[in-house]
Amino acid sequence: MLEIESLSIQLGEFSFTDLNLKVTDGEYCIILGPTGAGKTILLETIAGIHHPKNGRILLNDKDITNIPPERRGIGMVYQDYMLFPHMTVAENIGFGLKERGVSVSERDAAVQNIAKTMGISHLLERHPKTLSGGEQQRTAIARSLLLRPSVLLLDEPLSALDTITRDRLRDELKAIHKETGMTILHITHHFEDIYALADRVVVMRNGTIVQEGTPDMIMRHPVSDFIANFTGMENLFTGNAIRTPSGIVEIRIGTILLHAVTELTGQVHAGIRPEDMIISTEPFTSSAQNSFSGVVTEIIDTGVYSKIVVDTGITMTAVLTRQSIQRLGITRGTSVWLTFKATAVHVFRE
Amino acid sequence: MMKQRRKPTFFQVLCIGISLIVVLVLVAVFLGLILFSSPEALLGSLLSEEIWYAIKLSVITAVISTLFCLVIAIPVAYSMVRFEFFGKQWVNVLLNLPLSLPPLVAGVALLIFLSPVTSPIGQFLSHMGVYVVYTPAAIIIAQIFVNAPYMVRIARSTFSMISPRYEHVARTLGCSEFGAFRKITLPMAKNGLIGGIVITWSKAMGEFGAVLMLAGAIAMKTETLPIALFLNMSTGDLDMAISAALILLIISGAALILFEYFGKDNGDVYA
Repeated sequence: MLEIESLSIQLGEFSFTDLNLKVTDGEYCIILGPTGAGKTILLETIAGIHHPKNGRILLNDKDITNIPPERRGIGMVYQDYMLFPHMTVAENIGFGLKERGVSVSERDAAVQNIAKTMGISHLLERHPKTLSGGEQQRTAIARSLLLRPSVLLLDEPLSALDTITRDRLRDELKAIHKETGMTILHITHHFEDIYALADRVVVMRNGTIVQEGTPDMIMRHPVSDFIANFTGMENLFTGNAIRTPSGIVEIRIGTILLHAVTELTGQVHAGIRPEDMIISTEPFTSSAQNSFSGVVTEIIDTGVYSKIVVDTGITMTAVLTRQSIQRLGITRGTSVWLTFKATAVHVFRE
Repeated sequence: MMKQRRKPTFFQVLCIGISLIVVLVLVAVFLGLILFSSPEALLGSLLSEEIWYAIKLSVITAVISTLFCLVIAIPVAYSMVRFEFFGKQWVNVLLNLPLSLPPLVAGVALLIFLSPVTSPIGQFLSHMGVYVVYTPAAIIIAQIFVNAPYMVRIARSTFSMISPRYEHVARTLGCSEFGAFRKITLPMAKNGLIGGIVITWSKAMGEFGAVLMLAGAIAMKTETLPIALFLNMSTGDLDMAISAALILLIISGAALILFEYFGKDNGDVYA
């Protein structure tokens, strides 16, 4: 178990105070937050690069706050790989074992082995400069995995990669985690990572943790506007919520009236995830309490899905696969209905 | 790509024209120096004992002072890039001061600092039987004093191009702080540092003002190439002076080419 107890650090302009975080053994914990939230500094402090002003870091009940990074048994992978340019891929991967004085033959075997797992056996004699981004990140991951760290810190490991490579490497991270049972702390700003990988999500902002919980909890019940924006909640509105006698809450936003299930009234934010909206070209009869007609103003292709922007009096965004768009014959200017449940409207206050 | 020939604008003509004039003037000036003496006279003076002495003395003092500069510059530059400490900006100004200071001033300051007549330190040294002023050792000291800031500057820009994260990763892989520096940062800085060594050495070969003040211009004793040039000019021995000048010209040219060569490979920024 990795425990961070009331940690404070001051680093140039940046600081965070009284940070508490627990990561249990074998947990895949994702830290989410905008740039400048102090996520990297937190990871580097856990790795032992920066010394905290106050607080303790415990690893398996042992206080490691004053132990230098080389004796913590914590691995680190950065977004931009940080492969040593003057060494080959094999030398990079074997670097840690060499530092530990492991014999050449043993080292070679271990390097070959991990390279095979990561699918980079054919690259061992190459220099990092000649590799693609994905290959470099595989090498960097192999380099830190080889030492079997008790905690692996990943600082946006997939952010510099193209979509396809990212998806592939994400699956491999999942497999590695499953296979090794390693405790992983992973910084990201992609919400796909959260659903695919995380056991638990920690949201950081301005050096503090603003929310913690399972991916589902974070995504479904974001505690603030910022998290909602961040987690891909595209449809964010502000309006006045009034409780009706029937118990349902009505939120007036511009010209339309949203139905929601919530305890909150008054000035609120309402968020609807695009994937919770059903698009139809005819009026849609269902139990769902929100249905609005509008005109498609834009179709944005994002790869697998396309975002459909609809003007229903307010601008709403839904997502569809390319096939569905073709099947429904939706183009710009098409009249459509957007339908979603009252429970799909996430109401929160800042 | 398609190339379209367009009539050059007045502005383009002006810029290119001025550049062309500068190039022509440079070529003319250097050619004038090279062609001034007859080849026989030049060869004669190049082989003279005095010039040989000057070459040897210059090379030896420049090599030694460059090594000192390197040893000083690496830790200083590394501290300035990687560590935060109180008064860093003032240290920075102080470190850069010798860059804009006329070497003559540096030489006078050194002379006053080291002379047995003017300073307690000089007195102490002479008590110990160490005489620095007006000796070849003074040449080395003067060169170090003037050139170390250049070496620091080059080493600094080299280190600053290497992200500290390389060291962070190395630490998590088992390196000590010094180990990470030695095994990762230093090899990555190699080309930049070699470039710095070349430039520092060539500057040391040509250092005149500070050397003149601290080591004097004593023929066949503290007579480096620039001092030889100066002494022979003042006695009207033009062939000797020009041969010393030509050697310095060649060294400068070669150093520049080497620096460019190592600098080119250093185009990678490891930030």
